Amino acid sequence: MDVEKEAARIAEAGESARRFARDPVNLPMIHNWTEAIGDTNPRYTGPDAVAPPAMVQVWTMYGLNGVRDADDPLGAMVRVLDEAGFTSVVATNSDQTYHRYLKPGEHVSVTARLEDVTGPKKTALGEGWFVTTRSTWYVEDEIVAEMRFRILKFRPAVAEKPKAEPVRTQVIRPAINRDTEYFWEGLKQGELRIQRCGQCGLLRHPPGPMCPECGATKPKYLVSEGYGVVYSYVVHHHPRVPGREVPFVIALVELDEGVRMLGELAGVPRIGLPVQVVFTKVDDELTMPTWRPREDR
Amino acid sequence: MTAALVGIGATEFSKDSGRSELQLAAEAVRAALADAGLEPSDVDGLVSFTMDTNAEIAVARELGIPELTFFSRVHYGGGAACATVQQAAMAVATGAASVVVCYRAFNERSGHRFGQVSAAAAVNVDNSWSYPMGLGTPAAMVAMFAQRYMYEYGATSEDFGRIAVIDRKHAATNPHAWFHERPITLDDHQSSRWIAEPLRLLDCCQESDGGVALVVTSLERARSLRQSPVVIRAAAQGSGRDQFTMTSYYRDDLTQLPEMGVVARGLWRQSGITPSDVDVAVLYDHFTPFVLVQLEELGFCGRGEARGFVASGALELDGSLPLNPHGGQLGEAYIHGMNGIAEAVRQVRGTAVNQVADVEHVLVTAGTGVPTSGLVLGAP
Amino acid sequence: MRIGDSLPEWHVEATPTFVISTALATRDFQDVHHDRDLAIKRGSKDIFINILTTTGLVQRYVTDWAGEDAQVKQVNIRLGAPCYAYDTLKFFGQVIERVEDDLVVEVVGRTGHGDHVTGTVRIGVPG
Repeated sequence: MDVEKEAARIAEAGESARRFARDPVNLPMIHNWTEAIGDTNPRYTGPDAVAPPAMVQVWTMYGLNGVRDADDPLGAMVRVLDEAGFTSVVATNSDQTYHRYLKPGEHVSVTARLEDVTGPKKTALGEGWFVTTRSTWYVEDEIVAEMRFRILKFRPAVAEKPKAEPVRTQVIRPAINRDTEYFWEGLKQGELRIQRCGQCGLLRHPPGPMCPECGATKPKYLVSEGYGVVYSYVVHHHPRVPGREVPFVIALVELDEGVRMLGELAGVPRIGLPVQVVFTKVDDELTMPTWRPREDR
Repeated sequence: MTAALVGIGATEFSKDSGRSELQLAAEAVRAALADAGLEPSDVDGLVSFTMDTNAEIAVARELGIPELTFFSRVHYGGGAACATVQQAAMAVATGAASVVVCYRAFNERSGHRFGQVSAAAAVNVDNSWSYPMGLGTPAAMVAMFAQRYMYEYGATSEDFGRIAVIDRKHAATNPHAWFHERPITLDDHQSSRWIAEPLRLLDCCQESDGGVALVVTSLERARSLRQSPVVIRAAAQGSGRDQFTMTSYYRDDLTQLPEMGVVARGLWRQSGITPSDVDVAVLYDHFTPFVLVQLEELGFCGRGEARGFVASGALELDGSLPLNPHGGQLGEAYIHGMNGIAEAVRQVRGTAVNQVADVEHVLVTAGTGVPTSGLVLGAP
Repeated sequence: MRIGDSLPEWHVEATPTFVISTALATRDFQDVHHDRDLAIKRGSKDIFINILTTTGLVQRYVTDWAGEDAQVKQVNIRLGAPCYAYDTLKFFGQVIERVEDDLVVEVVGRTGHGDHVTGTVRIGVPG
């Protein structure tokens, strides 16, 4: 099955028909929700009560015995990927926008369309496709809320090759702490992440918890394009390094974004050589950034 | 500075000491005290490297040192060497202690070898940007700097090799040196195998077992002791911007050692001398390329000019800046820089085997590529 | 409330009762949120919190701090490690941005397995 072709077909179909919530917005369900979540915000109770905005999706859930509508794009795309062997699912993003709070008695309806399908991508969980849908909630003809929702449909990595236990090769493993885990996590997801100060935007590698420029302790990151040039390099001959055949090349790469990073280089090294990143999966727990000469140069 | 070095002591330098590191430390300290004409009971301060496995209290127990009023450790491997003397001098100057012994002892060849890849080192988060990427030995870490230095300044492997040749030449006439009577030629260097290109085997210092100790006290007290005091004219530590241990690769320029620049400024300011006043230079030489960079950071020549300076013969015993007359760590022994301080003391005393004439000021530096330290020692 | 202000750390004990009652209150009847045997059979360690609940907790964390007058306009979240039954979910937050007259609060919810949720909440604050 051609996943992309099917995705295009489903996207082409556009917006699904409006589907109404089982019940109008109502206080008993609001109270069930606030009780379970433990939310004591007084706005959600009393005569002028409004519904918690995060409940918007709750109103239009299919419920215990619900069946997805035939034109539901997420259901259709999931079937396509199931058939293609990407049988497992995990939700990755939910971006909800609330245009206003809902009041008891209002009866919401929802429509959905397929926004994007990208893949196949190698992820920590296995090879898979990211499926993004957009839902819109209405009260009559007024748009009251919207959501971009993304799932990963994947083929579990372990299913590829039966293994007795997770392979953990004899390489030197990084020490990872809360300041650095985003970097290693990114590698598993095929992203080369560069720390970016959430306040002043300083790019920094290796990362740290406090921005040396502005003092903010809100580090974020951006995902590098993965291109750079060799700033310096070493050809390692001796002594033996666990998990590697000697000789091998380690390059100090200056990324286009301006930071430098070390990694093994496959190819003949020279200072100034344009390179691109390769995500090299070492084992189930570790993916390393490595470099190869840039193909388009 | 009002402090002086009054005693030096060492074990033999070998590849297999056949005894514990604590025994090496105790023997070195006892030898240094004997050299100074002091008793263990005179000692009230001990300083070492954080990397040293011998606790101050263990050394005190072995020596029978009754009470300690000052004990301290310095970080960053070989960068600690001269800083142990700085700690001692500050302790003496403030009255925290009256006689302080600095020591370093290890079985670095027969026991834990720094030149091997240590998986344990990667438990440090800083090291996680290099070790897992395959960059896990000091030689390879220095090679990364050296490659860029060659690219920027046109230096060659032979320029590095000349440092090894000089050190081995000086070691050849030093009976205490491991490489006594075993000089090398530049051809030997050029035909030695690659360790981490652009570094060859003979660019890398040896690995040694042994211990060295140094005794520091006030200049006033020093005058009544056995040896002519060696005055600590300057003692400085230095760490640079965006500093890492061996892998400061994220600075603008990879051809410099700014932490040594910090040390240099401190030394010149405290001592009041300039590079041209230095009679002997004991420069840390675990890997040859950083000797060139040190010459530039310390102001003996301009940026990128060290190879010409070295080729001119300036570093010979009869040159303008005799380098490592004991043979350095490449030739004598690798005792994490402490044997170089002992040599500096001998040069000021006038008792070295390869004695330079009329020595007034000796410069000593500690580990390179790491936060480091330095000393200017002089005659009283 | 200023950019850089930190929210007080908040801990949620994800007891099985909590995982199940919130799943049902959000009308999510997928077995991995209420049936431990089936959850384990599907390769999970235990039952775990559903997304609608995570969204609700993120919203609550911010409104508990900002007060009842705060108007929630956006909740954008990215999901990471599952929050299993018996995990403690720790929330951290900081005001990171002002957009028009609204504040954007960054929220991280973390368990012993790593970041369960990272995201931002945009709120309108009167006055």
